[in-house]
Amino acid sequence: MALNLTINTSNPPLGALLAAEHVKSSVQVSVEEGKDTQLLVSDSVQFSDSNSICRYLARVAPAVGLYGANMMEQTEVDHWLEFSARRLCGQPGLNITLGELNKALSLRTFLVGHALTLADLSVWAALKGHNEWPIQGESFSHVNRWFSFLSSQVPFTSVGKKYTTKKA
Amino acid sequence: MPMYQVKPIYRREMEIDLPTCMYKLPNIHSQQGNSCTSEHALQNGEVDPAVKALEARQDEIMKKLYELKAAVEGLAKTVTTPDADLDLTVSSSLSPQSSSSTTFKGTTDLDTLLGKDLGALRDIVINANPAQPPLTLLVLHSLLCQRYRVLSTVHVHSSVASVPPQLLSCLGPRHADSYARHMFQLGFTLIWKDVPKLQMKFSVQNMCPIEGEANVARFLFKLLAPYPSDPALATLVDSWVDTAFFQLAECSAKERAAVLRALNSTLGRSPWLAGPEFSLADIASYCCVLQSGSASSAPANVQRWLKACENLGHFSPAKVLLQ
Repeated sequence: MALNLTINTSNPPLGALLAAEHVKSSVQVSVEEGKDTQLLVSDSVQFSDSNSICRYLARVAPAVGLYGANMMEQTEVDHWLEFSARRLCGQPGLNITLGELNKALSLRTFLVGHALTLADLSVWAALKGHNEWPIQGESFSHVNRWFSFLSSQVPFTSVGKKYTTKKA
Repeated sequence: MPMYQVKPIYRREMEIDLPTCMYKLPNIHSQQGNSCTSEHALQNGEVDPAVKALEARQDEIMKKLYELKAAVEGLAKTVTTPDADLDLTVSSSLSPQSSSSTTFKGTTDLDTLLGKDLGALRDIVINANPAQPPLTLLVLHSLLCQRYRVLSTVHVHSSVASVPPQLLSCLGPRHADSYARHMFQLGFTLIWKDVPKLQMKFSVQNMCPIEGEANVARFLFKLLAPYPSDPALATLVDSWVDTAFFQLAECSAKERAAVLRALNSTLGRSPWLAGPEFSLADIASYCCVLQSGSASSAPANVQRWLKACENLGHFSPAKVLLQ
């Protein structure tokens, strides 16, 4: 089964691209550049918002564990997906939001459970694409630690380089 | 037991000329005088047998009335079901004997869903703002009550000055004070609080507080029925839930109209939003359509679907609050 992900190059969905990179080993996803972001599943089913694309990719490849290990982790992942879409993306005034994120990360390596999930991908992507982040981020040590930990790993380095330079 | 006796201060058999134009009544004085014992019985807190008989009769009448009311409600449900234009799958789930157990297939067991029981009551605590009552969660709560033994309580946080009475009673009648917590499988504690966004706290040692009505609704729904196993269908459900909460409930009239059009074309193809099965997508969208006040101006397929939802009988807690 081959999936076709079209991305809007002027505003690339970093979270969806990261998810696509992570599930690459079990599902074939081809990425094309186009005008609108869209994941074509079949003739009648397509998803056009980043969270739905992430959810679908995580569900198609359950072995990767991007949607958490149990129901409670799934709920946490849902929480962070909404958090990144509603509180981080395009919202001015990051201070309060970053404070909450910092608190959540104070005792954690990953946002949910003990492994990488969609939560990490989507929040990382939202911060990466946010123009206030590099300046505001300095005072939030836990967020910084977590962000640079993820940024140094493989899919994050390649996706980050490839799509954020293009945007600038 | 008579203590002492006092001589009557009047003559018992007094002759009075009574007018004949009025009803005749027995002389109450003579009756009282004759039955000294019954007077004492009344003083000891016992009830006159005549009153007792009257009460019994009233109880009987009330019982008959309740039975009649139930019968009429049952009839009304079958009469107003518009199943003429719905296909077979829908009408089978609308038939009177179907309860939530047929609508939500699959057995769900709290231990397998939530990990092993640690002996304490699993308490779902929800902080909600009384300015935006979470209709979806109230509907899901009543469905949970049909499935599990749920201990429901409502509190008002000190950050809120006053809460309308219908919000205080939105989880049904209070449990008797003598309840034992271990008799329940699930706790549902709703706190009216001045929060910017609805919050759920559950299993706080390993879960962060969950924000957003949509995410809490997903959690509660998973306690009732598993998501579709097909990834596309499950994601479709989630996508409709997002659309309901972020576009129907929050956005401008123009975007609402666009969503209603999308709903209409989807409902033209299938009886429910995510295909042949009633799902969380329907619950969330129904509540958001009603809350946004666009139910009356909705296109034809949406109207039909709204009616079909109502006939399932799951939405009465939400409708009570909307009035």
